[in-house]
Amino acid sequence: MMETKGLRTEEFMVNMGPQHPSTHGVCKLVLKMDGELVKEIQPHVGYLHRSIEKIAENRTYAQIVPFTDRIDYCASMNSNHAYVEAVERMAEVEVPERAQYLRVIMAELNRIASHLLWLATFTIDLGAVTPFLYAFREREEIMDMFEMTCGQRLTYNYMKIGGVNWDIPKEFVPKAKQFLKILPGKVDEYEDLLTNNPILLYRTKGIGVLSSEKAIEYSASGPSIRASGVRWDIRKAEPYAVYDKFDFNIPVRYNGDVWDRYKIRLDEMRESAKIVEQAIDGLPEGDIAKKVPMTWKPKEGEVFCRIEAPRGEMAYHIISDGTNKPYRVKIRTGSFCNLQLLPAIATNHLIADLVAIFGSLDIVLPEVDR
Amino acid sequence: MNLVKQTIDGIYNLLLGLGVTVKHLFKKAITVQYPKERWEMPERSRGVIVLLSDKETGKLNCTACMLCARACPVAAIKIEREKNPETKKFEPTSFDIDTTVCCYCGLCEQACNFSAIKLTGKYEFSVYDKDRLQYDMDFLQEIGRDVKYEKKKKVAKKAVKKAAQKKKEDKAGEEEKSQEKSATKPSAKADAAAEDEKPADSEQKEESKTEDKTGDDKNEPDSSEESESKKE
Repeated sequence: MMETKGLRTEEFMVNMGPQHPSTHGVCKLVLKMDGELVKEIQPHVGYLHRSIEKIAENRTYAQIVPFTDRIDYCASMNSNHAYVEAVERMAEVEVPERAQYLRVIMAELNRIASHLLWLATFTIDLGAVTPFLYAFREREEIMDMFEMTCGQRLTYNYMKIGGVNWDIPKEFVPKAKQFLKILPGKVDEYEDLLTNNPILLYRTKGIGVLSSEKAIEYSASGPSIRASGVRWDIRKAEPYAVYDKFDFNIPVRYNGDVWDRYKIRLDEMRESAKIVEQAIDGLPEGDIAKKVPMTWKPKEGEVFCRIEAPRGEMAYHIISDGTNKPYRVKIRTGSFCNLQLLPAIATNHLIADLVAIFGSLDIVLPEVDR
Repeated sequence: MNLVKQTIDGIYNLLLGLGVTVKHLFKKAITVQYPKERWEMPERSRGVIVLLSDKETGKLNCTACMLCARACPVAAIKIEREKNPETKKFEPTSFDIDTTVCCYCGLCEQACNFSAIKLTGKYEFSVYDKDRLQYDMDFLQEIGRDVKYEKKKKVAKKAVKKAAQKKKEDKAGEEEKSQEKSATKPSAKADAAAEDEKPADSEQKEESKTEDKTGDDKNEPDSSEESESKKE
């Protein structure tokens, strides 16, 4: 910083949010500023608290699934998947293989959609409007696929305990194949537009560096930790569903800055496309769901189950007391843990960089507050 | 030298990005001009809820079995029912859906065995008055008149009719007993859901058992559900 003689400066507080467009929802950041320099960040959460954990205690196991849609609305399939996987593990419900494959297809398509949405909002935070429109165009294709499968575009309620609610319609496979064919080209297009664009490079290179030690210390997860040189992905580390049957890579980058977090998501989209392609090719015939009665009571037990959601680990801790309603549901989400990284990596940056860093962490506020 | 290289790199990449935008300049826009053009909603679309009625008789398919009300995670469905003295079957006297709390999850449609309730592809349901979002039975029936419903369920509906006829002939006495039970129990313990469920389900069980013979897989889960829940 430039020293100015004879001028007295003092720190002042700024409320960024809760209605700030770049906080992606309603997150309030109380900033202590020294001119343009952010000295202290205090995130205030809770504006979107809907007490889903408490509501879950008063609902039957099947009725909780629509609520899990609303935890991470950008990746509802993954939220669904985490919950049903946890309940099935607790009650030892066997799931037909076709349902497992369908779940993987949907979860990975949703990961692509989620990353596209992230790309759109991240770039518009940085002032680039064109990629926003392009990314939404591709996301629309995925939304169409979901809509033809389960009837909705955002809150899918696709999975149920013991399988999935609907089989894919016959138009799905050709449409998905066609989409997967064009997707890598589209990602290349985004790369042409952005990756080496000097304006983006100045805004992102070396900004908000997260070291691998700090990432582990703060229990970061998802693309944020993988951009800091930690190869950690639940899909590989603790394979759930049928992820162990597919051949895919975990992209890792080592600088831990905003640019790496940007690049890693583009790479992940390509990897997810590979998984979907393999899953569609190997999709077995058979039942899509095991019949689970409406008044279903699992035996007493407890489970902690985690999956890899687009924003990091999503975990459910469910305790059953033998009735048809869970005794306790605890939800761990990636965004909540990643939000606490913000004060650690964004202090002593300019306020404009804070927007870039906040965007790069990909925080969805309903997931933070639940 | 470094600065020169950076500048050339920068200009090249800016042009590369511009090239992408120029390519798109001459492509057709994918925007749908909404009020003028409308897109086709997919068959499974989960929009406005309707009550389906029989095409021939024009009566509601609903048998007021309360399964949808019980499946609803947000308690948006309220049903009142009455026993028809002629047919000795339940009929809904009021069927209210509070669409302001409805989360359009489709669990009611999945729970229904009589293809009585359906989430349709209709999507324009904004009104000026909030009270008009509380849909009552007549309104739900009216907006459901033009909805085509699935063939599979239609078969099931016929099967139900056949089953009901057969049952009347075969075990007229048993049916009366089970209905008497279901009539008395829920009123006594309306709040206790677990208690409530058994009588209502036992009615359907008898019907779905006969349906299984016709080979309709839509209704099979019921009988298996019943047997599993009885074990517990």
